[in-house]
Amino acid sequence: MDVFNFLGRTREDKARLEQHRLRLYRIAYAWTHSTALADDLVQETLVKALKNSSQLRDPNSGEAWLYSILANCYRDHFRRRRATEEIDENTITHESTPEKESSEQQVVLKVREAITRLSEGQRQVVTLVDIQGLSYMEVAQILNVPIGTVMSRLCRARYALKDLLGEFAPKNAAEESKIRRIK
Amino acid sequence: MSNEEQKFSDEFINAFVDDQLTPEEKAQVYARLSGNEALSRQICELRKTRDLLQLAYKEPPMPIRGMATLSTGRKIGLGMAAGLMLLIGGVTGWFLHQPSPEQITSASLNTPTDDVPVKVLFHVSDGHIDHLKSVLDDVEELMQHYRRSHQAARVEVITNGEGISLVLSGISPYAERIRKMQKEYKGLTFVACQNTIDRYQQELGLTAKLLPGVVVIDSGVAQIMRRQHQGWAYIQG
Repeated sequence: MDVFNFLGRTREDKARLEQHRLRLYRIAYAWTHSTALADDLVQETLVKALKNSSQLRDPNSGEAWLYSILANCYRDHFRRRRATEEIDENTITHESTPEKESSEQQVVLKVREAITRLSEGQRQVVTLVDIQGLSYMEVAQILNVPIGTVMSRLCRARYALKDLLGEFAPKNAAEESKIRRIK
Repeated sequence: MSNEEQKFSDEFINAFVDDQLTPEEKAQVYARLSGNEALSRQICELRKTRDLLQLAYKEPPMPIRGMATLSTGRKIGLGMAAGLMLLIGGVTGWFLHQPSPEQITSASLNTPTDDVPVKVLFHVSDGHIDHLKSVLDDVEELMQHYRRSHQAARVEVITNGEGISLVLSGISPYAERIRKMQKEYKGLTFVACQNTIDRYQQELGLTAKLLPGVVVIDSGVAQIMRRQHQGWAYIQG
């Protein structure tokens, strides 16, 4: 029950915790598109992680373990709320006018909006793989689904995103030549 | 030739983009890439989607409370924590000269005075699960003893440092037991130290939620000293 384990440790440990927190938040935000809810989920995740830290035997699997706690918190949250509230009340807020936004910001908002249109399962898989760079195996463990499901959801999610983001799809030859240079 | 042109599955291409294939499988894709414009395009599109996703969440909007303010409070938090540790160290040393818990308990048990309640404080600064259990066992035993002997008693369980885990909602392993004890014994109070709660917030960025009925005081150490001054018996829980 080393709740305050982190307190007595080095600056590096604290920086690492902070990094985990930010990374978890990024994923939680990608899943919920609500800053407050994402913050709550991360908080709940870290509390549970601290509480159960003794269960973690392999420090190398620490990150995947954190995401599986996050996935459980996320699932539980919507299970609790499902009876009373619709899930998809997420809206991406546009505080500035389109004219003021940089083109990059427009892309960012457009992508986030596209992500909200994916099914929950697809959204979770594609964010864990693309944003977090986790392996298929890790994602399968985190979400507790077969690896084949991870692959098919990822595949469908990417093609759905490609359709939704049609105007940002590759349209010049430069990128293709970049691919050719890989070999 | 037509066999070689057989398409890879979409999942397979995705796995290639995500570097999830074995070296042999990757070699198959590379071999097929040259001169296959459709395949190149497909891979390119998948990579582009991935890049866009990374870009979209590189800097997500931050919540108003919490993370944004976390780093600013860090230095102050560290200073306060260091000060608090010094204070705890000093006071603990001082308390070591006090009579042992057993002596105090037996002394107070042996001098029942019906009008004036017996006043005992338990100081909990260790958060180990077994330790917390033994504290609750001691407290419960004491409360039962006073009840049997019809002796009025006020008992405060003061938590600070790691001991605060006893009264943190979602963390305490004995939340239900504490709730029952609070209900069962009127004279029993669980107290949490505000300094420790602040530390918890600043160091971990977490908001400490306490169990229902837990009282917050400014400083656990100051409360212990006040209580001692008022004639409360001190027991190191």
